[in-house]
Amino acid sequence: MFSAVGASFLPYVNHSCDQFENENLCTTHVETNPLLAERPPSWALFSETTRPIVGDAPERFGLFGTDTNGYDLFSRTMFGARNSLLIGALSILFGILIGGILGLVAGYMGKRVDKVIDTIMNIFLAFPALLLAIFIVGFFDSSTTTEAKSRSIAPIVIALVILSIPPIARLVRANTIVFAQREFVLAARGLGAKNGRIIVREILPNVMPAMVTFAITGMAILVVAEGALAYLGLSVTAPTPTWGAMIFGGQTKLETAWWISIMPSIILFVTVLAINLLGDALSEKFRIREAIG
Amino acid sequence: MRYFLRKLLQLVIVVFAVTFTVSLALGAIPYAEERIIAAKGSGAINEEEKNKLLDSLNLREPTLVQYGYFVGDLVTLDWGVTLNGNQPISTSISDGLGISLRLMIYGQLVALLIAIPAAVFAAYRSGGLFDRFSTTVSFGFISTPNYVLATILGLLFTVRWKLFPAISTDVGFFEAPWDHFRNFFLPTIVLALPLAGAYMRLLRSDLVNTLQSDFITTARAKGVSTPRILFGHALRPSLFSLVTAAAVNVGALVGGSVVVETAFNLNGLGRRTVLGIFASEFRLVQITVVILALVYVITNFLVDILYGFLDPRVRVGRLG
Repeated sequence: MFSAVGASFLPYVNHSCDQFENENLCTTHVETNPLLAERPPSWALFSETTRPIVGDAPERFGLFGTDTNGYDLFSRTMFGARNSLLIGALSILFGILIGGILGLVAGYMGKRVDKVIDTIMNIFLAFPALLLAIFIVGFFDSSTTTEAKSRSIAPIVIALVILSIPPIARLVRANTIVFAQREFVLAARGLGAKNGRIIVREILPNVMPAMVTFAITGMAILVVAEGALAYLGLSVTAPTPTWGAMIFGGQTKLETAWWISIMPSIILFVTVLAINLLGDALSEKFRIREAIG
Repeated sequence: MRYFLRKLLQLVIVVFAVTFTVSLALGAIPYAEERIIAAKGSGAINEEEKNKLLDSLNLREPTLVQYGYFVGDLVTLDWGVTLNGNQPISTSISDGLGISLRLMIYGQLVALLIAIPAAVFAAYRSGGLFDRFSTTVSFGFISTPNYVLATILGLLFTVRWKLFPAISTDVGFFEAPWDHFRNFFLPTIVLALPLAGAYMRLLRSDLVNTLQSDFITTARAKGVSTPRILFGHALRPSLFSLVTAAAVNVGALVGGSVVVETAFNLNGLGRRTVLGIFASEFRLVQITVVILALVYVITNFLVDILYGFLDPRVRVGRLG
């Protein structure tokens, strides 16, 4: 299958501008992305008349072959990384920010504040995660059912942030409770430090390792979750798709063109595996016990 | 007892909040009325029927009244019919629940059947060849998104080798056991493998700890055979986190197997809900979400109670 690896790069470079009517666009593109994606993911390789109905196999074209539109699958997968990873990173970033604050406050304040926050988190957890995400994404589709929908990454990120807040808040809360009882916190309070300062200067640095580790594993989970949303037909509808959308798009072509789904699947798997390995190594380093539930 | 009451109070609050949110969510959906009319087929019904339909959903009532009606209908099982096809919603939900429950039970059983022996052997020679191999494999399983697994297995087993039907149909076990097996095999495997990976890791690390304790050394010194030590002495005290995780998953998987159901075209509860959202079957969605949330919350409640029984430290609150 990969016998064409070496050769596959040559035709790209040789006549990479032939297909494009606007040569400026092409040169700019090749200059800005010299190695990774030699073809813009949304431009077809073939003219309307010669474009194959079902994609070309990897043996015959490029690294990954082409999809049903004749787009280069390798380029699309590379560009898909932008969307998939951006969605994952943004979601976990906001999730950590909001969930972290909630967890710190709940764990440090205890008592009534803790109970209120914990109950709210329990309510969110009670909803089936994916259904909640679907509902949130669907909520932002303000059009009625029949219109064709275009969707940016914003609603997806919002949905994933909401999904990620409760587990993060729980983890941070559990860690905060442990440190809030330690003597250095007592000492800081004895010196007259205010609550805000104690949380930020004394507790946060100690909770940080657990947060960072969880953030990494969480990002893998969210990249997968975005794929699941796409698999159910709910993800961004930009010209460059996410991996999930690509896997979903090739589902009906498994019999005739397996690579359309399988290639992005493999890339997604390897990415998730890599992120998980990193998270695992970190959690071993910091000796974090996995929070149950 | 105080522990029990506290958990019960929490359960009641969560159930109230969930039903309340779900009831209100309908009003928050943009163009809810238009969507419902469109789903019903706007041309097909006249003004009077339209008003009757919207009246039956109590959309124009005040919030609290809406909630009252919703809970009333929910409790009296007066769930109405679907917009499309006029099938009773209760029938649709019980059909879906049957499929989802079966999928959950099969998946859990297969996952446990793989995970427990694998974990025991891995822990027995921890650091050994099988341990390293199974840890790597389980890590791979955990990192495989279920739709990726479904795609790859689907390609191999249904497209290439044509061993299983690509589209699973709900065939009863007693009517046609072989067809039942063929239809549920792939979905079960896709559901079970990532679970098995997670379970194996949990049990392995607990077992490794248990095997280092004094009573194991004593048993060994007494000359108890290795299989007896592993399965008779060490396994039971190590099952704690595994049982917790498996129990929590009972609740989570009933609604959480949406992707697997979609991949194999099984009309389980999760898939029906997703299709319901797309088709503006809001009533069906509301009721299913409440049921799924109840299943999840109640299993978690039972796990908490069980936890309190098994480990008194939890009751006192020292373990959080």
